[in-house]
Amino acid sequence: MLRGQQVTKRFGGLTALNRVDFAIEPGQIVGLIGPNGSGKTTLFNVITGFYRPEEGRILFDGHDITGARPHIVARMGIGRTFQIVQPFQNMTALENVEIGVLYGQGLSHGSESQARAQELLDLVGLGHQRHTPVRNFTLAEKKRLEIARALSVRPRLLLLDEVFAGLNPGEVKQAIELIFHIRRELGLTLLIVEHVLGALRDTCERVIVLNYGQKIAEGPPEEVFNHPEVIAAYLGSNETH
Amino acid sequence: MLVGLAILLVLALLPLARPSTYFLGFMLILFMYAALASSWNILGGFTGYLSFGHAAFFGLGAYTTALLLFYLKWSPFWTMPLGGLVAAVFAALVGYPCLRLRGPYFSLVTLILTLAVSIIILNAPWTKGAFGMFLPFPPVDIFTNHVIFYEVMLALMVLAALVARQIERSKLGMGLAAIRENEDVAQTLGVNVTWLKMEVFLISAFLTGMIGGIYSYYISYLHPSFVFDTLISINIVLMALFGGRLTWLGPLLGASILSVVNEILTLQVEAQLARIVFGLLLIGVIIFLPDGIMAAAAPFIRRLLGQSRRRLRPSSG
Repeated sequence: MLRGQQVTKRFGGLTALNRVDFAIEPGQIVGLIGPNGSGKTTLFNVITGFYRPEEGRILFDGHDITGARPHIVARMGIGRTFQIVQPFQNMTALENVEIGVLYGQGLSHGSESQARAQELLDLVGLGHQRHTPVRNFTLAEKKRLEIARALSVRPRLLLLDEVFAGLNPGEVKQAIELIFHIRRELGLTLLIVEHVLGALRDTCERVIVLNYGQKIAEGPPEEVFNHPEVIAAYLGSNETH
Repeated sequence: MLVGLAILLVLALLPLARPSTYFLGFMLILFMYAALASSWNILGGFTGYLSFGHAAFFGLGAYTTALLLFYLKWSPFWTMPLGGLVAAVFAALVGYPCLRLRGPYFSLVTLILTLAVSIIILNAPWTKGAFGMFLPFPPVDIFTNHVIFYEVMLALMVLAALVARQIERSKLGMGLAAIRENEDVAQTLGVNVTWLKMEVFLISAFLTGMIGGIYSYYISYLHPSFVFDTLISINIVLMALFGGRLTWLGPLLGASILSVVNEILTLQVEAQLARIVFGLLLIGVIIFLPDGIMAAAAPFIRRLLGQSRRRLRPSSG
């Protein structure tokens, strides 16, 4: 479904992504982990068109989307959330979600677009708060809204950037349930960037590990978490600095 | 809605009461600023791109109709859309690089553009440069003259307000609000931000140019320092912000109130002192009412008009 070939992104002298290959098959939940600065968010930004890679290609359902602009990528069916929640603070929950229905799905403003936005709010459990200004939401609610909004472009592939960060264990559990629920309902493929490794163990079938812009491991969670290079990357190696 | 139409009807029929030409002159400049603030607000308020260079569009429109009148004797009453067109073409040329800038950088570049255009016009041979251009009056007496410009400015104000109102309530308006809130997120929701910004930049410039196109005929003497005046740009911004930039009604309210306040202060108090009082008033409103007096007056106006205003909300601060 999504395929990256030799993806390389440089910022000046820094190579944020170095010849990264990856493939995500339809229906999979894939985790993307790595220490801070390893290139996870950069990879998201390359996939969603915010950055153009210096080398390599991104293929989505066989179409080359390398360097396509973000709104085109969204309309093609890739939704995303942001690492730091960024709801439209001065809009209601319903309006937040309606934007994507209007522009991502190409509807005109009216009862139909509002009904679709409402469905998505219902799906993430915020249906009763549709008219609440978003700035009054808790962090957990804002994260749910972010997911509903990412779904508003009717994506086939959903990229989640640290949706579990900042949530307490109970909320993490609910968020995991929500993600499974959404996948069941909408038949989505998911790529999840995460720091909460336990959450990934419970959700992902496969995990890709980045370190300093390079893919150092890939495979089922149990296997990857015990990989010596991954442990070294997370806990530091024995070398003295 | 009915209240609005009633106010409009009274304003349109006001000249029948034979007010003084001074009053008509004051009112038509008020209408002009209301129209300018409404046009500006589509870009500055709805989209969040604060242009400090709308005098450039205003002046280009003014010079377009003035030149056509001066050299070809074409009446500005029907060439004013051409004034708008020239302003829009200029906006199209500078829009792509300018609209890539965000926040203060955009404001600064628009400000500098006005100065640049002003200098070009000042040095162009066919604009009479620093001598300025004397334009013929419409062939009517001074009162009728004022009545005509009064009605035309009123019509332009209604046009600008209707365009703004239409945009605010449409899909376009929601897209613009998304851009104002967060441009990156808007893109991930499928909003073609480059095109939307360009679209409203052109609409805003067109309306502003058209208003300038009729203003030059009214003042009948044109000089670059009159119509490319940065003070015009700043006045437009302040009126829209003062009134409230989130709705189409805000700029109309802001322009009306500030025009009256400015006039009273200038007449009753010394002009220099009036400027200071005026400035302090604006600072106060911008600090304490960041979304303008519209946000504060919203519940009252809603009751008055008997309808709900969907997007009338205070800012997050």
